Amino acid sequence: MNDERDPPEIPLEPFPVHRPESPFPPLYESLPPGPADPPSDWIQSADAHDLPTRENRLAALGRFAFPPAPPLDDEGVAARDRRWTSRTIVVVAAFLLVFNAVSPLNWSRQQPPSWLQGTVQQLSGVWVGQLAVFGVDMPRQGAREAWMAARDARFIGQEPAAAAGSTAAGVS
Amino acid sequence: MLFPTLAFGVFFLFVYFTAWSLDRENGRRKLFLLLASWFFYAQWDWRFVALLIGSAVLNWGVGALIARQPGAKKAWLVGLGVAANLLILGFFKYYGFFIEQAGDLLMRFGWERDLPLLQIVLPVGISFFTFQGISYVVDVHRGKTPPAKSLLDVMLLMSFFPHLVAGPIVRASDLLPQFDRTPRLTRAMATHGLLLIVWGLFKKTVIASEISVNLVDPVFFDPSAYGAIDIAAAVYGYAVQIYCDFSAYSDMAIGIAALLGYSFPRNFDQPYRASSMQSFWRRWHISLSSWLRDYLYVPLGGGRKGLISSCINVFITMVLGGLWHGAAWTFLAWGALHGGVQVIERLGRAAFGDRKVVPTVVGVLVTFHIVCLGWILFRAENFDLAMAMLQGLARIGPVTALTPLLLTLIIGGLAMHWLPPRAIEGVAERLKAAPSLTLGLLVGAAFLLIEAVRPEGVAPFIYFQF
Repeated sequence: MNDERDPPEIPLEPFPVHRPESPFPPLYESLPPGPADPPSDWIQSADAHDLPTRENRLAALGRFAFPPAPPLDDEGVAARDRRWTSRTIVVVAAFLLVFNAVSPLNWSRQQPPSWLQGTVQQLSGVWVGQLAVFGVDMPRQGAREAWMAARDARFIGQEPAAAAGSTAAGVS
Repeated sequence: MLFPTLAFGVFFLFVYFTAWSLDRENGRRKLFLLLASWFFYAQWDWRFVALLIGSAVLNWGVGALIARQPGAKKAWLVGLGVAANLLILGFFKYYGFFIEQAGDLLMRFGWERDLPLLQIVLPVGISFFTFQGISYVVDVHRGKTPPAKSLLDVMLLMSFFPHLVAGPIVRASDLLPQFDRTPRLTRAMATHGLLLIVWGLFKKTVIASEISVNLVDPVFFDPSAYGAIDIAAAVYGYAVQIYCDFSAYSDMAIGIAALLGYSFPRNFDQPYRASSMQSFWRRWHISLSSWLRDYLYVPLGGGRKGLISSCINVFITMVLGGLWHGAAWTFLAWGALHGGVQVIERLGRAAFGDRKVVPTVVGVLVTFHIVCLGWILFRAENFDLAMAMLQGLARIGPVTALTPLLLTLIIGGLAMHWLPPRAIEGVAERLKAAPSLTLGLLVGAAFLLIEAVRPEGVAPFIYFQF
């Protein structure tokens, strides 16, 4: 007995003992090195959410009832601001037409007689009368009475409003 | 047609909605605004619309010729244009005054003559649109602004109704570029404009009207009937009245223009907190003072030839500024007072340098009282009445005209000068985010309150007569 292996008694055939050339192209590792990559344009501070994305319209239709509109351009923003201003002005005009209805009536009384003056006076007269039923003239009336009371107030020892007025008129 | 009237409100609503409905056609929009401005002006006297058109054609023609001519002829043309503008202004505003003075002078020398006196009606706002015409011609000559692209632009520049009758004096370089395309209206502009209109309406119809009717007018009519306290109150009251009256017009003009998409320069900046007369004129009627500086003080030589020359020039400028306000010796004296104090300030600065000799509080008080002294000359019909007012300040008598409300309004009118300098802009910046319904109700309530407390009728603005 020794350490040498016994020669194989059974031949390896029919398995091939010689590796033939592969009919396929050579593997990647064996390719010659190509040109170097260009320098990276990676921006550390960039946020992936800032990158433009193209949303599939069908996918959007699936999530919303209809696709979201694109953001407004300058013209759209300007038009929206104009509409907002116009609505504000209309609200102011309507508010004054209700709570300051006496103003057209006063204006018509100060004008020389004419078709327009007469029409405005009659219309505003009816309008003021109808609104007075609901008491909408009370805020204006209350503010006016408070102001008139402040106007009539005098310093201690001063003549009351009516007397002072007659004195001043007499002097001048 | 005054701003704080129902008629103007209806007119403005029509102009606002029509102008913005033409926002895709800038040319037609400008034409519409021009026609609306002429309609507005015709409410005073339709005949003067022709004067407005003639003045605009003159300035447009001169501007176009200046742009085409070589250097030497430009100076002649600009001189011709300025002279033509001054001739129009002089004829309507100063003809009667100078003829009367010439008659008096001839009579003193024994050469009494029947000079051709004419009853000339002064067109409203002639000083403002004439000054605008002069600034256009001179700016084209100086190359500060290119000549207008069309006659329509010059006509609208001079006739645009928000600034037509009482300023601010908006220069071509400020407004013509805005006419180039349809303007944009932002929420900030609109909110600021609405707040300026409300604030101006309050100052004019509540503060100025109340003080004018119940204190200033009666006391200045007959100073001998009142004691020192009433007269002092009337002088302080007039200081508040003229500020609230004139700045209110400017505020409303700026606000109305803003709602139509145009931006006007600021005309007042808390003038009574000025600590020197020079500072006062940088805060009071800024568009006029800067006009006088650029088109009168600088051409006279300004401060280029030394201290004495600059003092003489500033004095001449202020005297002519006084004369611009009206053909009367009291206005000349008012201008001379302001010019004289500015000369003293310049001499003081030359002697003491930039060292602060007088504390700010003292400077503010002294300046304010010199301004009030000037207002006596400005308001009084003649020198006799002005002297009677000054003498009355030493007369002991009962307080009859001054009331707690009037005192409150005078103090309030002065106290508003110590609000934060850009308070309205700050409020507008916060309100611009509000829904239109909220802002509309707030503005409507403010209008209602003002309407409730204002006196019946509206007195014309003081500066309409200039």
